[in-house]
This record gives sequence, C-alpha cells and structure tokens, in this order.
Amino acid sequence: MNEILNIKYEKHILDNGLEVVLYQDKTLPIVSVNLWYKAGSANEVEGKTGFAHLFEHMMFQGSKNVPKEKHFKFIEEAGGTLNGSTSLDRTNYYETLPSNLLELALWLESDRMGFLLESLTQEKLDNQKDVVMNERRQRYDNQPYGLSWEIIFSNLFPKNHPYHWPTIGWMKDIEKFELTDVIDFFKKYYSPNNASLVVAGDFEYSDALLLVKKYFDEIPKGKPFTQISVPTEKLAENKKIIHKDNVQLSKIYFAWETAKLFDQDDATLDILSDILSGSKNGRLFKSLVFEKEIAQDVASFQYSASLTGMFIIIATAKPGVDLSELKVEIEAVLDEIMANGITEKEFNRSINTVKSSFIYSLQNLNSLANQINHYNTSLGEPNSLILDLERFEKLNVNSINEVAKKYLKNPYVELHIVPKGVINEN
Amino acid sequence: MKIDRSNPPQSSGKVKFTLPKFERFELKNGMNVLFMQKNHLPVVKINLQVNCGSSFDPIGKSGLAFLTAHLIGEGAGEYNSLQLDEEIESLGTLFDPSTDNDIVNLSMLALSDKLERSFELLALIYQSPQLNDDDFNREKNKLLAKIVQNLNEPSFVASSNFDKIVLKNTFYENSVLGKTKDVETFSNSDVINFHKKYFVPSNSLMIVVGNVTKNNLEEMLNKYFTTFATSIIEPPKPIIAEKQNSKFYFIHQENAAQSEIRIGHLSNKRTEPDYFAKNIANSVLGGQFSSRLNLNLREAKGFTYGIHSAFIYYKNVGYFEISTSVNGKDTAESISEINKELAGLKLEITDNEIDFVKSYFIKRFPATFETNSQIVNSLSNLVKFSLPENYFDNYIQNISNCSKAEIEKSIIEHFRTDELIYLIVGDREVVIPQLKQITNLEIIELDVEGNLV
Repeated sequence: MNEILNIKYEKHILDNGLEVVLYQDKTLPIVSVNLWYKAGSANEVEGKTGFAHLFEHMMFQGSKNVPKEKHFKFIEEAGGTLNGSTSLDRTNYYETLPSNLLELALWLESDRMGFLLESLTQEKLDNQKDVVMNERRQRYDNQPYGLSWEIIFSNLFPKNHPYHWPTIGWMKDIEKFELTDVIDFFKKYYSPNNASLVVAGDFEYSDALLLVKKYFDEIPKGKPFTQISVPTEKLAENKKIIHKDNVQLSKIYFAWETAKLFDQDDATLDILSDILSGSKNGRLFKSLVFEKEIAQDVASFQYSASLTGMFIIIATAKPGVDLSELKVEIEAVLDEIMANGITEKEFNRSINTVKSSFIYSLQNLNSLANQINHYNTSLGEPNSLILDLERFEKLNVNSINEVAKKYLKNPYVELHIVPKGVINEN
Repeated sequence: MKIDRSNPPQSSGKVKFTLPKFERFELKNGMNVLFMQKNHLPVVKINLQVNCGSSFDPIGKSGLAFLTAHLIGEGAGEYNSLQLDEEIESLGTLFDPSTDNDIVNLSMLALSDKLERSFELLALIYQSPQLNDDDFNREKNKLLAKIVQNLNEPSFVASSNFDKIVLKNTFYENSVLGKTKDVETFSNSDVINFHKKYFVPSNSLMIVVGNVTKNNLEEMLNKYFTTFATSIIEPPKPIIAEKQNSKFYFIHQENAAQSEIRIGHLSNKRTEPDYFAKNIANSVLGGQFSSRLNLNLREAKGFTYGIHSAFIYYKNVGYFEISTSVNGKDTAESISEINKELAGLKLEITDNEIDFVKSYFIKRFPATFETNSQIVNSLSNLVKFSLPENYFDNYIQNISNCSKAEIEKSIIEHFRTDELIYLIVGDREVVIPQLKQITNLEIIELDVEGNLV
C-alpha cells in the first residue's frame, strides 16, 4: 500500500535560488501551481503584527503587468480556482487550472514575485486594510469563542516570542500599516531564494521546466536576512484566564508547549490526541460526553509549527455544568493514561486511522501539491509522505504514555470562556 | 534578455477530457444504485441516501429526521455505540451521517481493500440499528444543547431566520436541527417509527464511486443489503411558498462586531429550463470573486471580507440570496450599494461579462470530476433534481448556447427588487438609526429564534 505514497518528482534550483519541484500526474487535464514564501507572522515584530497576512492580500492587488482586479479575473476566466494563506512560518499562493493554461499561472506568479511594487498604491493598501479588518471582525471578533486562539498564544508564549500574537494581527496594528511597510517586507522576504515552487499535474517535465525558467530566471536573488530568534524562556507556572463572551455554553481550554513540526514527538502527540478524542472511543470523549454526559463535545490536537508546537484540549460544558467539573475529569483521564498507558487495541486503531488518512490525502491535486511543498520547505525532500508515515509506524504502545508524561506534566495555560453575566466562575 | 511580460500567455492548445460514465443497476431488494468506477486510487466513496430529510419531519416534531440519522449510528446489529465506532475506525473508514432539508445521507470513505467490511457495517446501520433508550436520551440532550449553542452564532442566526422568512408556511421553514419545544417532546418510539417508515430500499439510493468493479460491487451489496421492507410514504405536503412584498427584518445581537446581512426572495425550481441563464446572470452579480458585488463592496469600498449571491435549491423550491457580513457602521451604505448593483444588473449586462462567466463554467468543468466525493455529489444532485441522464454530456453546450436575450429575460424574471426580504443581524444602537435613513418600510424586529419582539 505504501508504494502509492512514493511521490516521483524532479527538483531543480534556479540560479537565483528558487527551488522548483515538478510532479507529474496525468489523471485529469489540470495543473496546480503552488508557491511558498518562507515568511509568516513569526517574522513580524511587536507593533506590526498581522503584516505577513495583510501583505498576502496585497499580492492579489495586481503587479506591473497585471492591473488591479485582473489577477483573480485571469484565473477565473481560465476556469481556475485560486487562493493564498498565511501561517506562523510561511505564506502560500496557489491556483489550479486547465493544463493548457499553466503558462498563465506562471506569468501571474512571477509578475508579482518580481514586479509587485511597480503597481503599489496608497489606495490599494487602504482598501485592503479595511478588508482585513473586516476579515478579523468576521472570523474572530464576531464569532463565539473566536478569540480563544489568540488568548492562548499570547499567554503560552512570552512577549518577545514570534508566536506570541495571532496571524491575523492585533486590530490596532492593522490600522497603522503604511506603504513603506509593504515595500520593506517585499524586499526582505519575497525573493526567489526565499521561495519554493511546486508545479503538479498534467504536463511534460521538460516543457514545464522551460516555462518556469522563462518566467522566473530573470528575477534577481534577494539579500540574506537575519533569522528570527526564539527566547528560551518557557512558561514557569500554570496560568488561568477567564474570558466573558457572547456564548451560551462555557468552554475550557488547556494548552501545553510541546514538540515542533516533524519532530518524532510531534507524531506521537498526534496519536495521543486521537486516543483522547479522535472518536467516540477516545478516552476523553467516552468519559465526558458518553458516560458522564457533562460535556457537549471535546477535542484535542497537537498543533505544530517550525519553531515549536502545542498540545490543546478543549471541552464544552453541558448547560448547567461547571467547568471545574470538566477539569477534574480531564485530569483524571490524563492521569490514568500517564499511570497505566493505553491498550494495544487503542493503539492499532489510531495507527490505522493515520495510515488511511495518508492515502485519502492523495485525492486532491491542489492539496497534494501543497503537501509536497510543505515537505520540500520543511524537510528539503518533496517525497516525504512515506517518511512522515514512518514516524507513526515506528511507535509502540508505550510511546503514548511516555510522551504524555514528558509534556503534559509541564505548566499549562487554562482558559475559560464563559457567557456574559455569569458571576461565580472560578 | 528580458522577456516581454506585457500580455497574458494564451492557452497551449486544447485539453483532452473524457467524461467518465456512470451506470445504474438495481439490487435484489429493489434499491437503486448509481455507480462509477475510478481506479487511479484505492479509495471508494459511498453515499447511501434516504429520501427523508427534515421536510419529512412530522408536524410538531421538527428535528426528528436529524436525530434519527444521527442515532442509527449509535449502535447496530450486535455492536453497541462504542463497539460499532471501533469496528468502523479500525478499518480506517470514515463514516459521516448528515441530514439536509431533503435527504438523510449516510456517507463513507473507505480504502478499497476494506470496502466489503465497510458495506457490511453500513448495512447494519441502515437496516438494524439498535435505537436504545440510553443512546436516545443522551443524543437528544446533545441535540437540545446544540440548538441553544447555535443561538450565538451570528451567521447561523441570519441564515436560518432568512430561510424561515422566505420559505414560511412551507415544510422547509424549520431548521434541520429542529425547535427546542419540538425536540423536547420526542420519545424513542418517534425515532424507531421514523426509521421503520423511511429507511426502506424503495425510498433509498446508493451512490458508489471509486476503485471497485461493477460485479464485485453488485455482489457485495446484494450480500449485505437484504431487507425487502416496504412502506407507504406520502411525499411532504405540496409546497405553497408565497411571494412576499419587500420587508425589513432586524435581529439584535449585543455588541456585535459586524452586521450579518441577508437579502433575497423566493425563486423557481432547479428543474426549470432557464436554470443556466439565471445562473450566468447571478455569476455576473455575485457568484464569483470577480463579480460586481464583491468588486464593489470588498475591492472598492472595503466594507466586507466578502459578499456572495446564489440561487439556492431544495428539491421542491428555490430562492435567491445575497449574503455578507459588514462593519456595523457601514450597514446602511452596504445595503444601498447592494440595491444599486441589483438595479445595475437590470440596466445592463455586457457581452464581456457573459463571455467571462461562460469561460469560467466551461473550462472548469473537467476539474469538477477530480475526487470521488465531487462525483458522488454531482450524481446526487442529478437524482435529487430529476435532471436528465445526459445532463453532464450536454452541460458545456447548455452553457455556451445561452443567448444574451435569454440571460436578460432571466434577469427581469428572477431578480425582483419589489420582493426583496432584508434581514440584518447586528447591534441595535449601531444599525437601526442607519436603516431608518435608507428605508421607509417598517423595521420588524425578531428575536434570535425568529419570534416577533
């Protein structure tokens, strides 16, 4: 079964440092172009948070040869789909379109990589600042529990840590951005030697390489920049935050700092989260939702990035149930796993789930191209699905309680989100 | 040498796309099967669809279809709830029961070497659910809490109440989850009877797409789907959706960070011949990123993160809806701009705009057959709306044949400014004074559940 996870590819590095990965798949006459820039919100500084994301928006505002509004129009007219996203460590841009229009996508991506600033205006910036402030309102401020993520990040990581603030940024920072911020960020991070391009789909290798070179070769290499520094300081003691919100049911969150992306422990913690809440038989689900019926739902997951990771548990209290009751049960479930471990049956069930999810991940070309880019950027090897899966296959039943003991006994952030008007919450 | 970048590259010739074919067959127990073999990955997608969505909820029992669909997965055959889940998960199969207004859908994604066992378990869920009292009580309580939880979700409050107003007095007006006062009255026998009545082969459809041959599939299905139960099912009472004159509705959410806006009206059914024309017209207005509404309210004015319009179809009714969320202080101006765009659409639609939208639909067509799940959904719509068997064969031609005159006619008929229902969910202090500036209509205030305040 693992053979289909063996991704065959060609990799080239252009003279300007751009990494190019070509992956041929002729199942359908479509092609996905996926471009990662190694800059995300971790590259921001205090007072300028949210900029990597705002900059992503500016990349859709046209470039020297692409008038405003036309970037989307060219791709949509070609029957394509497109988007971009910003995370802690990187920003990506991607489009999937008919294979006979590959050149169009490369023209668009190269124009904004090489010639964005030629078409930059104050009007475009002001407009996208308004759009992003509305994005923040829609996705976070006006969502029940929408602020939980940024409260956890800013409490788990100290002020000078690159993961202290949310990717969308603080509203007061978004309001203040100026054109010089756009120019500086572009010059510093948006160079070919800080990027990785994956072209996947229905093409001939030699044709695709020629086209990539045609459009990207002449873009000059960027200057080196200093890498971000990470404070070594860790959370010294447990922190508890109570936040009142427009919600009906209370939620409790626990967050521990854990292992970073692609670390062995990162995989082990993924399995731990599945054992806890991946199904009805998950220990937390079974105890809190199924047997005791004190929680409406429960979730846990390992969220990892380049610099570090975190393990999160979230439970929603049933109406009338106090969060302290959930906390007692969650602690009891964790203590039980740390003391007595898990069963072979639980372990095998989780490993099977992971294995099949790797196969399912091959279904969509756009997301596969993104995964290949993820591996290329983080591990230097595009063909890493098997290697990634092996992180799970090499575990054994005892790995799980060991990893729980290693991380979940450390200090943590505890967040309560409670309905406005609730008084005696402790 | 620098290359010339001034003009966009043109296409490098035609793409080759062969439309995959689907087949139909019938099981020995009478259940219909739609099937398409796709071999490039060892994966199979299954939808077992039962014709009993929330429009079949008995009067005073809203939410019953949803709860039934959910409960049959809580234990079946010899397996209790946890054991059943264990059996499915150990295969690596993903099982997801869902309910919409028209159908209950039991969906599975399975690896092909785990397909037979997946079908065996699916058949147990469909034919022999345990439906125990304990499971019933637990899941009913969860449903009640879920209904409450949604009341603070501004987009849910806006969309569900908009449905309710536009589709009032029809069997589509209730939310799929049901009303608290109805769900509270459920007993386990309601669920048992609902399952018995509707989960029969003649009322169900199996759609399978993926890496399996027809012979193997037929054999497996006939082996496990063996009940021959029948029952008499009356369709829900005919829909009497009524046209309404323009009205303004408002729902208060204290300190709302934005205003959720829904604007639209009742429309015609999915099966009408002018479907393609009105769909093209809607794409020019608000169906894509590069549509007029989004280019104005987002890319020019910055009022919103995004705005979208669509004709939404249930099996027996259709309606038109514009939806967005905007900064509170821009609520009235956003509505005025939306009205302006609607008026503008009636005034003029250009050849360039029509060509752009047609190009989008036609060139995108092959990519809609990428994943097994996409194909299953397309086949599901084919059946749900009784579309012709050659619908996909003629799709591209139907788009390209749409004339400007047909599109203009559909705009006159299907974008009716005198019937627009406006619903805003936001902060009263911020929004109401603004609304009074732009309309003389009465502003009808509702609570989050849609009751008059």
